[in-house]
Amino acid sequence: MTILRARGVVKSYGPTPALRGVTIDVAEGEILAVTGPSGCGKSTLLHCLAGILRPDAGEVTYGEHRLDTWPERMRARLRRTEFGVLFQFGQLVAELTAAENVALPLLLAGTGRREARTAAVAWLDRLGVAELADTRPGEMSGGQQQRCAVARALVTEPRVLFADEPTGALDSRTSEQLLGELTRVVRRQRTTVVLVTHDVQVAAYADREVALRDGEVDPTGLGLTAITGKHTR
Amino acid sequence: MKLTTLLRLALAGSRTDGIRVVLTAFSALLATVAILAALTVLAIPEIGDSVNNRYVNPLLDEHGLRGGTALTLVLLCIPILALAGQCARLGAPARDRRLAGFRLAGATPGQATLVAVAETGVAALLGVAAGLGAYFAARPLLDRPDAAGLRPLPTDVLPEPWQIAVVAVALPLVAALTAAVMLRRVVVGPLGVVRRARRTRPPLPWPGALIVLGLISFAAVIPVLRWYDARAQQPPFALVTTMGVGGALAATAGVILGTGWISYAMGGLLNRLSHRPAALLAARRLTSDPWQGARTFAALLACVIVGAGAAEMRGYFRIMRDLDVLAARRGGYEPQRDSFYLNSMDLVDIAIVVAVVIAAAGLVVAVGEGIVSRRRAYAALVASGVPRAVLARSILLQALVPILPSVVLALLVGMRLVGPLTGDEVANYGESAPFVHAWDTLAAYGALAVGAVLATVGVGLLLLRGSTAVEELRTG
Repeated sequence: MTILRARGVVKSYGPTPALRGVTIDVAEGEILAVTGPSGCGKSTLLHCLAGILRPDAGEVTYGEHRLDTWPERMRARLRRTEFGVLFQFGQLVAELTAAENVALPLLLAGTGRREARTAAVAWLDRLGVAELADTRPGEMSGGQQQRCAVARALVTEPRVLFADEPTGALDSRTSEQLLGELTRVVRRQRTTVVLVTHDVQVAAYADREVALRDGEVDPTGLGLTAITGKHTR
Repeated sequence: MKLTTLLRLALAGSRTDGIRVVLTAFSALLATVAILAALTVLAIPEIGDSVNNRYVNPLLDEHGLRGGTALTLVLLCIPILALAGQCARLGAPARDRRLAGFRLAGATPGQATLVAVAETGVAALLGVAAGLGAYFAARPLLDRPDAAGLRPLPTDVLPEPWQIAVVAVALPLVAALTAAVMLRRVVVGPLGVVRRARRTRPPLPWPGALIVLGLISFAAVIPVLRWYDARAQQPPFALVTTMGVGGALAATAGVILGTGWISYAMGGLLNRLSHRPAALLAARRLTSDPWQGARTFAALLACVIVGAGAAEMRGYFRIMRDLDVLAARRGGYEPQRDSFYLNSMDLVDIAIVVAVVIAAAGLVVAVGEGIVSRRRAYAALVASGVPRAVLARSILLQALVPILPSVVLALLVGMRLVGPLTGDEVANYGESAPFVHAWDTLAAYGALAVGAVLATVGVGLLLLRGSTAVEELRTG
């Protein structure tokens, strides 16, 4: 069953086109990798699918809802409740502890502080960093910070997780560990994942790959995993 | 490194660097004009017994009042210097990247620091030059004697040439040295700039002791004067000045430094009492860097202390005038209705409002810089669905939670400082009345300070939308 759908999505930054009519479907529970060279529009597509950006033309549908017609206030609520987002770096609030960072989306949803902390620590535990619950981001390694970011993105148990180069700032070993833990958790939760990457090792964790080139879906259908033959399940 | 290279590198920056240079130069211009104005007042020669009969305003004409007038002008430099300090933080990340670029190109750590210091020094030098130009250009324009030959301003006298030279050299040097001191914790490396860890211990309430000492020192001036008077001796000038000025400065420093402890304590309290995300964000910011409040609000709190003292003195002079009227009515003669002191307080009030406006300009820079430097984390939160209103509320709480108790403390300290001067009872022309605190004016000063903070946060929040744009998160 399709959970997310983009139809002819067009997006430009001033005179520079980023997406030139992208059409893709994302099935519920699948891990979809969006790949392509730098500047091909992968991040822009992810931002449009997540309702962070509004496309200039085309449709973005989540379930039965046309996200491209929703005002920012409604899209923000959707991101807070149904979606999780994960970026490359710099997403944790420096002054909050790991547990407080993870608990933040729950607090925003009105959960009590004690309950939110319990849930946050449980998620940190699932990602193997429970001992860092009272540590601030500045005192953690890049990998530990990213695990906390994953916990924050998943603490509301979102239906869709959007990840933009989530391991881009990590070394290959930490990257593999993080992706292993991330995919284990999302598969157990049946969370749909849209994963943007230019790294074949990362794309190999996905069920399916869509390659972009110059703002369009690559018509050859040859993504990184198809070319290299790599796949990790 | 050749001087020309140093200057080229110091002034080669982005538009934000350009704005920082212009604001630093503007601060130096204001400071130059304020100091030259003070020196000009002090340069007025003493002709006659107590008045010169050369100027319209008694603050310039009376020998005994010129020192206070000059001191007030010099005190205006406090918010000006605070503005300069905040300007130095503007665009710091971009400047850090530029300095790291110099290191990558082969500059030594000392050379990179020298470039940053030179930027401030050159900007201050330009500001001082502009200030000197403005001072000398304004003199003939403002020289407007009335029919009786009385001037509104001392445009007929000049400070000594050596005094002007000292201002021209010392101000840029002080600015450059201040920049060097501010960079003492900064290590410029080829891959970026690292700030050495600040102390992690929470602040302690020791500034309270400084406030008490300052108040005691200031209050002891009158008993000391009486002690010497009873023995028909002149008190040593240095002793009285140290006790009075030193006491006032110590109490002011105590309030400013105490803001660090207040921020920390209020942050902890907010963290315990409120469960809302905005409060949590604000509370953690306050406890993680409690000294930010002390840095940001220093000039404003100094203005509030002076304002509270001025308000109490105004109340005192009002009662004096009323007693004059009462005595005249009882004695059946015409009251003098001498409004000189109250008129002087009007000028003091104007000076304080000007100082608050300058301090508020520094606050705008601080709030804006705080938002811009956290833009990536803020953008990530907004992308995750955190409403911008939550971030805006957290920024507002960050400013309001420490400033409200700090302003109350500053008002109390200002009141207590002048307490020994006003006393509990005011006597004039054989009449007396209990001293009544000028609550209305005190409240007005408190509201002015809090209003200035609210306004500056409002202006700073205009940057929030741009700083949380998704472009901040782009990775390719």
